[in-house]
Formats: sequence, structure tokens, C-alpha cells
Amino acid sequence: MEEIAHYGALIIGGGLTGLRAALELTREGKEVAVLSKVHPLRSHSVAAQGGVNAALGNNKDAGEDSWRSHAFDTVKGSDYLADQDAVSILCREAPEAVLEMEHLGTVFSRDGSGRLAQRPFGGAGFPRTCYAADRTGHNLLHTLYERVIESNAHFYEDHFVTSLVVEKGEVVGCTAIDLKAGELTCFSSEALLLATGGFGRIYKHSTNAHLNTGEGAAMAMRAGAPLKDMEFVQFHPTTLFGTNILISEAARGEGGILLNSEEERFMSRYAPKYMELAPRDIVARAIQTEIDQGRGLPGGYVHLDLRHLGKERIGERLPGIRQISLDFVGVDPVESMVPVQPGQHYSMGGIEVGNDCATRLPGLFAAGECSCVSVHGANRLGGNSLLETLVFGRIAGASMARAMKGGRRASIGRRRADAERKRVEEIMSNKEGSYGPSVLRKGLKRVMTEHFGIFREERRMREGLAALRSLRAGLGNVQVHERDLGFNQSLVMALELRDMFLVAEAVAIGALAREESRGSHWRTDFPSRDDGRFLHHSLVFLKGEEMVLDSSPVRLGDFPVQERVY
Amino acid sequence: MMLKVYRYKEGGEPRYDRFPIPVDKGMTVLDALFYARDEFDDGLAFRYSCRGAVCGTCAMLIDRVPRLACKTQVEALLKAEAAPRLAYSPALDLGGSFDPRREVLVEPLPNLTNQKDLVVDMREFFEKYRLITPTMKGAKVDKGQEYLLPKDDVRELERYTNCILCAACYSACPVNAVSPDFIGPAALAKLYRFAIDPREGRRMERLKLADVPEGWWGCEFHSNCVKVCPKGVPPNLAIGKAQKELRDIRERR
Repeated sequence: MEEIAHYGALIIGGGLTGLRAALELTREGKEVAVLSKVHPLRSHSVAAQGGVNAALGNNKDAGEDSWRSHAFDTVKGSDYLADQDAVSILCREAPEAVLEMEHLGTVFSRDGSGRLAQRPFGGAGFPRTCYAADRTGHNLLHTLYERVIESNAHFYEDHFVTSLVVEKGEVVGCTAIDLKAGELTCFSSEALLLATGGFGRIYKHSTNAHLNTGEGAAMAMRAGAPLKDMEFVQFHPTTLFGTNILISEAARGEGGILLNSEEERFMSRYAPKYMELAPRDIVARAIQTEIDQGRGLPGGYVHLDLRHLGKERIGERLPGIRQISLDFVGVDPVESMVPVQPGQHYSMGGIEVGNDCATRLPGLFAAGECSCVSVHGANRLGGNSLLETLVFGRIAGASMARAMKGGRRASIGRRRADAERKRVEEIMSNKEGSYGPSVLRKGLKRVMTEHFGIFREERRMREGLAALRSLRAGLGNVQVHERDLGFNQSLVMALELRDMFLVAEAVAIGALAREESRGSHWRTDFPSRDDGRFLHHSLVFLKGEEMVLDSSPVRLGDFPVQERVY
Repeated sequence: MMLKVYRYKEGGEPRYDRFPIPVDKGMTVLDALFYARDEFDDGLAFRYSCRGAVCGTCAMLIDRVPRLACKTQVEALLKAEAAPRLAYSPALDLGGSFDPRREVLVEPLPNLTNQKDLVVDMREFFEKYRLITPTMKGAKVDKGQEYLLPKDDVRELERYTNCILCAACYSACPVNAVSPDFIGPAALAKLYRFAIDPREGRRMERLKLADVPEGWWGCEFHSNCVKVCPKGVPPNLAIGKAQKELRDIRERR
């Protein structure tokens, strides 16, 4: 028997989803621990900018809004791959979820009457995106953290979770490294939630924080749960040229326009009706096409023009964007155009869960970006991911509370902890190694960017998959020189690497098998949607060392599958 | 450029390492640290997360000024552009000398306990943040409605909600350097944010919470806090307003 800490509920990840779930569990009187490799306020949720969708209908000039219109926009945006019952939950619960955050203290931006202001966003037929200037994620995360620290929830910061513990087919806890001491610890649980966010850092150009390496999804797959729709990777149209820091869709929602090197407003050729506010997949492809066809600016970018909005409006609605542009490219959007290029931003796919956030494994739940319900299908609309964290974070907490019977203390066998310790020791004792973890990491990012980017094609992807596998074979050669285990970030990077390769391969396998173009997944060799063959979800299981592909039906509903035009 | 980095391990003596870094346009101090870790010493420890100046993780002492490493451009440092003039604090000088035209000096945030290299223990900072009970306890409002909040109130609140709790102000504060009980600029700015929130309506109760020498009255208005804040939050202003309000009430009695 290994020394363990026992909590009824364990939450891995301290972002919006994790904290919202923790809040729900503490309200149910459950004992909760939140484990995170950083302080919860450093989670990537904090970087979300533009807003959160809810059909409040505050903008009376625009007519009447309804959750059903929100649901339709979401389903159409998803290229009909979203599960429509899940979308109904998301959109129906949105107003209450957003208002609750306001009641808890979030300082949202207001309209002239003091009500929550709402702005237009991509792919939406109504201005329904609530926002806190362009720092919506920051404001929401701080509010939830302020609320959860008041409860009896325990926080384990600087704890890097390395594996889930499965006994008799049930998830009963996890192993984690306390980063400060460098020691392996075991935690047992009745219900465990993965709320670990996305995996953007497997790409070279990503808006994601350095944290977002996808180990939550990989851990679930290693434990036996399938990953769903992994080929659907969102590329955000507007990331700052060079650093790929996010330039919010709100910039276009507020009236920003896109211009190519000929100063042409090229979106008119791609989405004549919605223009810059077409969904992200369409705008990102349009920009990439302009660049690829020689109408980009030197180095590969286009211009986002905000100048006509004026200093006051930019200052009130987009102060963060202005600051980012000033700080990182020395451009003031009030006076000059902002250089932008598409970059990886979000993963629609993730750990397969039902509408109650339960996975196929008893005891294991997942929610937020690391999961796939699916509410986003083949392409997520802006403003729907913050919403997902709030709605499904709450649902996950409630489901976990229901699943917890209480009183049961799982024991975690010494074998499990020893296996993880051995993994660490193997990396630390590898004196024959030829390179540090960053070498393979760079290779992985290059392959994913060049072979599994915005435009995909079979031959390129086959080469990419082979390259991934050969790089992955080098994992055994990774060496860490630093002997001290405390705050050994190179060791953490080496541990993350294995999981990054797993996630990358799941993306690759899904992308190769889907011989159609749908939402964010664009195949130049199969440039149209093929509902006959592919109106289904992809599932990837890990069986031993092999990845096995399967599928599951899309849960259709009130909105019939149509051609998707903007 | 030479990156001169403070190195420390528990139980050992601090020292400085120098890493030669090829500087390219747009390189930040965080990029330089990554380069040093990848190329020279994989044990170099420093915190980071978003790299976009919004998460507050990578605050450190750069050329003796607390700043976010991800936001600080190396070229600007070498040209000595935009260096704020700070009031003297003994804590800002950890002893490392440097040539500002050729070297970038990177040290851990002062006024907090150093754990390894550039990593500091943030617990003390967050304990003080928790002392001000940073949880809004609003009046009851109907479930289906928001509190109405005028735009002007939002504008005033935003000045303080923009705080990312990076602790740059806490480290730059000359009072924190000599009075460990002073709860510091960030916690006071946060308290002020709650005091002025009309949705809570507990202004005086909130202000009185820090009506002690370790609270509002500890501030000596050196104003290093606002000078180093990467988000433009003005804790000195909040403290001044709180002091005035408390003084006015006393005088009226």
C-alpha cells in the first residue's frame, strides 16, 4: 500500500471548467481537491478574450434572440457534426450560467441601460456575446477562484498529474509529481474529473499557453477511454504575426476588417454575407489562401484594420488587443494595421463523454476543452468555449456528486506508484541519451504544423504520420542533465512529450481516415463534405501500442443537415 | 547579449551564471530564458504560462525592475528604453552587477522566499490576498436578471479588476521590503475593487477591514507599485482614496 491522499472528488486542472465543477461539488457538500501544474489563476482560461455567448436578447435593436437561434448557429457552425441534444443543453443553460457569474462578481461590460452588453461574433445571427472588454476569461477565472477559495476545496498547485489509476476497469485516482519537492504522490478518488484544457502546443504556431500539452486527453486514452473527433483542430484566423498571441474575434465583432497586400477586403470572395464574421474555419482558410496565393505580406500575414473604430472605442472595447499589439509588435491599432496570421487555437475533439460528462470508465469524468461532448462538432463558434466551461463544468460537478456514494476509500496499489517512479527514474538515469526533450518537441511541432495544418492531403499526412512515429521512437533517447528533482522543468517536459506524441498521433489518424472536408478539417484531395460516408464521430482507442479507429453516430435533432453557406 | 541569471538551490549559496544569447527582433526575456535552458543548462528553473502578459506567472526582477519576462523586449532593455525610475528599495538590489548595454540581469522577485533559481514561493502573497476576503457577497437579485451597473462604475472597477496578481508591485514596494506585515499594494487594490462595487454595497465595511497600520496606513506613497504594474493598475490611487474616505468620516464625527 502506498501513502495516499483521499478525496471524494479529484479535479485535474484549475481553469474555468475545473473551478466551476469544484464550486458545484462544494455546494453539494463534497470533499474536493483541485490539482494543477500551475496556480489556478495561471490556467489558460485566463487568456480568453472576446466573450461568452448567451441568448439574453439584451440588444433590443437587433430583434428577438432565443436559445434556439443560438443552438441553430452552433449546429450550423459545427458543420452539422455537433450532437444536437448537447447543443440544446449548452444554449438553454447559457443565460443562467452567464448571469450566475455576474451575480458572483464578474464585472461584465454594460450597455447604456446598465445591462450586460452583447456584441456580434463570428457565425452568429444575433449579437449575443457577453464580454468584459477583451479580458473576459481573466474576469471569469478570477471571479470563480475568489468563490472557490472561500469553500473547503483543497488546492494542490505545482502538482503535475502523470497517470490515472485504474482498478478493475474503474478509475480510482491518479499519480502526481509535487513539482517543488519532485516527489511522486498518489491520490485516490470516487470521482475524478479531467479538466486539463487543450493541446495546442503540439503545433508550432498556437495561441495556447505553454501549459497546453494535452496530457489529460492522453491519460484518458492510456486508461482506456476513447478520444473523439481529434482531427478537428481549430485554427484561429487572427493571431499576432510572429508570436501567435490571440487577437480576439471581438476585434472583427467590433468592426475590424481584413485586408491583403493589395489592400483588398478579400473576405467578400469567401463569405459575401458574413464577411469577416464568418466562422473561424472559413476566415482562417481565406487568410491562408491569400497568403499561399501570394497576396499576403512578406513573411506570411495579412492586415487587420481597426483604425476606423477610433481611439475611444478601441480603448473601451479592445484595450487588451491594443496593449498586446503595442507590447509585442510595436504597433498601435489606433494608428496602424495589425499584422495577423492563422494559428492553432482550440481542439474541438477530446475525451469522449456523454451529456453528463461521464466517460466510458466508471469514476472518470471530463469536461471543457479536453473533452468532446460534442457541442462544437467540426468547428467551434467564438464565445462558445467559455460558455462550455461554465455549463459543462457545472454539469460535471453535479454528475460527480451523484456518482459519489461516500465512505469508500480506494486503496492504490504500490505497483502503480512504482511504475510511475520507474518512468521518472528511467528518464533521469538515461546517461546515453543524445538530446534534451526540446529537440523532439520542436520536431513534433514542425510535423504537425507542416503536415496536419489548415489544408490537408493524404500523401502529406502519410509522410507526417511516418515522421511522427520515427520521432516518437526517439523518446528513449531523451536525456535530462539536471539531477535535482525539485522544479525540474526539463523532466516535466520529457514526461509531457510522450503524451504529446499520443495526442498528435490521434489527430493524425483521425485526419487521414476522414476523406471529406468538414468544418476545420479541410482535405484538398476531398474538398467537399460527404454526409453519406462521414456524418459520424471518429473515435480513437489505444490498444497496447496501437491506435484503433472506430466511429459513433451523430445525434441529430431539430436542425436538418444542410449545405453550409455564409 | 549576455543573460546574467541568478541561480539558487535550497541549502546552497546563490550565484550568477552568464549565458550568451543571440538576440533577434522581438525576442523577449522569456524567449532568452528558454534559449538558455535549451542550449546551456536544462536545470534552469523559472515560471511561465501564457507568454502573452495576461496570466501573471513570469514576473521576475529584470535589470532590477520587477517585470513580466514574457512582455519585456530584450532590445528595449539594451537600449535602456522605458525603464521606470523607481523609489529606492533595498530589496531591489540582490547584489548582481551588470552592464545594461550588453547584459540583461535576471533575478527572482524580492520580498518573497526564493525556492529555486528564479522561482519564488507565492504563498505569502496569496495569503495576504486572502486576508481581504476577495469574494463578492452581493445583495440578492432575481435569478434571471443581472445587477444593473452604470458604465462609469464599470470603468472605475476595471482599473482594479485588471490586476493579474503577478506580485510585481509587491516586490517593488519599499514598505514591503522592511515591514513584512504590510499586506501590500495588490491586496489593497483588490480590497478597494470590492469596496467600490455597488453590487455589494458594503463600502465602509470593506474599507474598515484594512483600517490598520498594516493596511491602508502602511503605504508611504513611493508609487513603485503603479510604475511596475504590467496592467496599469494604480494601487497607490486606491490607497489614497481609501485613506481620504476614512479620514473624512473620522473628521465628521
